[in-house]
Amino acid sequence: MGYLDGFKITFGKLFEERVTTEYPKEKREKPDRFHGRHVLNRYEDGMEKCIGCELCAGVCPAKCIYVRGADNPEEAPVSPGERYGFVYEINYLRCIHCDLCVEACPTEAITESKLFEFSFDNRSDAIYTKDELVVDDQGLPQKQPWELWHVGDDLKTSGWMRATASSGNPAYENRVGWSGELGYGVREPERGQQFDESEPQNLDGKDDQD
Amino acid sequence: MPDSQPNAVSVTINGTQIEAEAGELVIAAADRNGVHIPRFCYHERMSSVGMCRMCLVEVDTGRGPMLQPSCMISVTDGMIVDTESDQTKRAQEGILEFLLINHPLDCPVCDKGGECPLQDQTVAYGPGESRFIEEKRHYEKPIPISDLVHLDRERCILCDRCTRFADEVAGDPLIQFTERGNETQVLTFPNEPFSSYFSGNTVQICPVGALTAAPYRFKARPWDLEQVESTCTTCSVGCRVAVQSSRNELVRYLGVDIDPVNHGWLCDKGRFDFEAIKSPNRLETPLIRDPNDKDQLIETTWGAALAASADAIKEARSGKIGVIGGSRLTNEDAYAWAKLAGSVIGTNNVDAQLGDGLPGKVVLGLPGATIDEACSADTVLVIGPDLKEELPILHLRLRGAAKKKKVKVVEITPLQTGVSSYAHRSIVCRSGEAAKTLKSLLTSDDELSQEIRSGSVVVILGRSSLAESALPAIEVASVITEELPKAKFLVALRRGNVRGAIDMGLSPGLLPGRVPLENPNDEIKKIWAKVPTVEGLDTAGMLRAAADGQLDVLILVGADPLVDFPDQDLANRGLRGAKFVVAIDNFPTLSVANADVVLPATAYGEKGGTTTNIEGRVSRLAQLVTSPSAARDDWMIASELAWRLGGDLKFSSMEEIWSEIEQVAPSHNGITLEKIWADETRDGILITETSIQLAIEPSGETPVVDGYGLRLISGRKLYDAGTQTSNCASLSALAQDAELRVNPTELERLGIQDGSEVTIISTKATGVAIAIADESIPRGTAVLPFNNPGIRANLFINSELPVTDIRIETR
Repeated sequence: MGYLDGFKITFGKLFEERVTTEYPKEKREKPDRFHGRHVLNRYEDGMEKCIGCELCAGVCPAKCIYVRGADNPEEAPVSPGERYGFVYEINYLRCIHCDLCVEACPTEAITESKLFEFSFDNRSDAIYTKDELVVDDQGLPQKQPWELWHVGDDLKTSGWMRATASSGNPAYENRVGWSGELGYGVREPERGQQFDESEPQNLDGKDDQD
Repeated sequence: MPDSQPNAVSVTINGTQIEAEAGELVIAAADRNGVHIPRFCYHERMSSVGMCRMCLVEVDTGRGPMLQPSCMISVTDGMIVDTESDQTKRAQEGILEFLLINHPLDCPVCDKGGECPLQDQTVAYGPGESRFIEEKRHYEKPIPISDLVHLDRERCILCDRCTRFADEVAGDPLIQFTERGNETQVLTFPNEPFSSYFSGNTVQICPVGALTAAPYRFKARPWDLEQVESTCTTCSVGCRVAVQSSRNELVRYLGVDIDPVNHGWLCDKGRFDFEAIKSPNRLETPLIRDPNDKDQLIETTWGAALAASADAIKEARSGKIGVIGGSRLTNEDAYAWAKLAGSVIGTNNVDAQLGDGLPGKVVLGLPGATIDEACSADTVLVIGPDLKEELPILHLRLRGAAKKKKVKVVEITPLQTGVSSYAHRSIVCRSGEAAKTLKSLLTSDDELSQEIRSGSVVVILGRSSLAESALPAIEVASVITEELPKAKFLVALRRGNVRGAIDMGLSPGLLPGRVPLENPNDEIKKIWAKVPTVEGLDTAGMLRAAADGQLDVLILVGADPLVDFPDQDLANRGLRGAKFVVAIDNFPTLSVANADVVLPATAYGEKGGTTTNIEGRVSRLAQLVTSPSAARDDWMIASELAWRLGGDLKFSSMEEIWSEIEQVAPSHNGITLEKIWADETRDGILITETSIQLAIEPSGETPVVDGYGLRLISGRKLYDAGTQTSNCASLSALAQDAELRVNPTELERLGIQDGSEVTIISTKATGVAIAIADESIPRGTAVLPFNNPGIRANLFINSELPVTDIRIETR
């Protein structure tokens, strides 16, 4: 057929499913563990999970997080316990979305959403403050004027994206080891990497002998 | 330990044979040989108690290996120690698992998290997992046990470090174990806070986060701290500190253990006064008197402020200029100011002391002793201020030496002091008559006199009361040089770098390098444009001259004579009498408010350089944070002024100044920058050389107190209304209101009720204070703290007289 071979491919592709999308009018589904911008979660009773321990800032390889703790006011506590996150800022000009902050957080206060489309036009907008990061009363992220959101984007916010199980022990995978979240309650565990439907779950981490 | 040591024993640690001193603890011998044994309760500056059992190691003394706490057993010859055996590891894992049973693991909110020995050793030696799933013990979380320290009993592992420190080292046994068994806890006594001057040290030595410091609470985490090693300049003891900042803000000081000075301890004032440096009250821009409203100071530029100061100095009659202050400065700053005054302005009217110390010539002329010499002498004579209030770490060192029976402390004092509790003998004399008492003691055949004469003597000499002039102290010095010619002196001057400022020539009659004005060395004649020849006035002299219109310009270099000069009336007249007053300071003090030009200076932690402590030990300071807006280093201000006066100080950095000091000052010859910055000289470099010949002039008798009067005794308290303390949020609340303390019989005699208001009458002023009956005050005297909130003692003191007598009346 010679030169017509190329047209055959073109013609054939006309009837295949289209892989390109009309971005930004439509967006593709994001993978479960997609790393977007952060949210600061709250407990079901509305208390902030962040205790201002600075572990996220300490582990951050891009040094984009600035946290300061303060004494929790006794009459109107911000978080349970002695200490709360008084200042929380993330500079998205520096953040590389590596998620180490999420790994380091001892209270699951910081998680990442699927939101990543920012079009801020100045540097101070790029520094998200605590007021901008903390979830609203429904447990959903707050939309900033420069963020591109479609309906439903904000629903896929945190989810459990810890890459490792506690102590790195795979036996703990799929076990709920986290507290409830405002607007969602206790989230179902995500499918683990070694998850296999055919095998019975070993949730106690003990040897299967009985 | 060299083989020649007669009491050396040979020990095998982990298969390596080492030499140790007989009687040395196994853990100390291991430390010295680079083998780390984990521990919580053991502290090398305190006695061993074997509380935590973390230092268990396998020890074989011939009877087979068995587990023993290495902090409780001494080395013996042929001992075999294994710190890494399976048995040892099993023991360590077990101990840690036990310690963590009740430890709350709230590390993310704990101030110790990240630098916690329990965390670190659990990672290094722990079992990895806990089998304990039961509920932990609960206590109320943090309870303030003093204004500065919080206690969290849940975190406590009962190592006994804080309680041991409070009892053994500080001598304030105010925290103790209470209850028994599972309920054992550290606690203060009911209604008695842990109000020790040294409470901050317990926070530093706590191996967990059970004790935390209120001023540092949640301020930073260890991984965001930057640290430099520096020297504390809160008082003149010169403790080694680690200065830590986070985000360009000082957040914490930690004591660093150096042998000759502080042994790792700090007083709470030195530890927490970093708050002043970030105080919003700091002077930030130059100020000048408003030409339209003479009562106002308005902001101006550096150029205008310096020009106005230079013009005033130029217009002044020659020799009618005085420089007061300098103890806040670094050695380099002090030299720059001495050079400006001497070489450019041409005056010797310089005095770093505010009439609250001893003449510079006496300080440099007396044979000097070190703190170590004082702590190993046979007898230490303390004739001076209350060391616990003014030089707290010197008090701590002396107390330690006295408790170990190394020295006999003999005190001659007008009233009970912090030293009295451990003094071998505390002799109470009438204020101003210490010399007479000392003379009669030494010339008597009293047993004590024999003891003093038979051994080595170090005298800690200072002003017992600021209501006395320097005269009584000088008389003491003259008695001692006469009776005990071999005695050495530690001159108890209080202010930060006052010794360094005197060394640099900021004292009348002196030139840099402990050289008398009459006999300048060749280098100074070469390097300085001119060298003053006429001995200048001291602070009292300058203020008196200014009051009489004999002084045109007064420059206050970090000096606040209205508050710190013992005679407020004279200071007031002096500041008003001077035509032009320039104040260089960190804070808007009372005297600054009276100045015509105010120049803001950089503070501690904002500049490097060197400082000199009471022993004459030069140690380095380090810069860590930047100063607020427009403040400048004091030497830069001196340099700028010199240039505007048509002179040139010829240096443009701290390093260049030090090189010049090294050349010009004979005592500092050979102490190069490299030596100062060498690692071996962390302890500082002791300078003993001096060219000053001591000449003590005989003086008159102290007047006798009349039947109606009370002799005023006034000393400083650690926490007072001083500039630094009152600008620290945590410390200012600790300063107690000024009260007049009088013996109850005196109050009875005068018909005054305990706790009622009285009128104090002196030749200088009349004032009102609360009178408190106090058994410990000798009859015929009245005690008023020098500068505490309420009423200042310098209102009443007449600095022209050797002592001040007051009368009190009911209101």
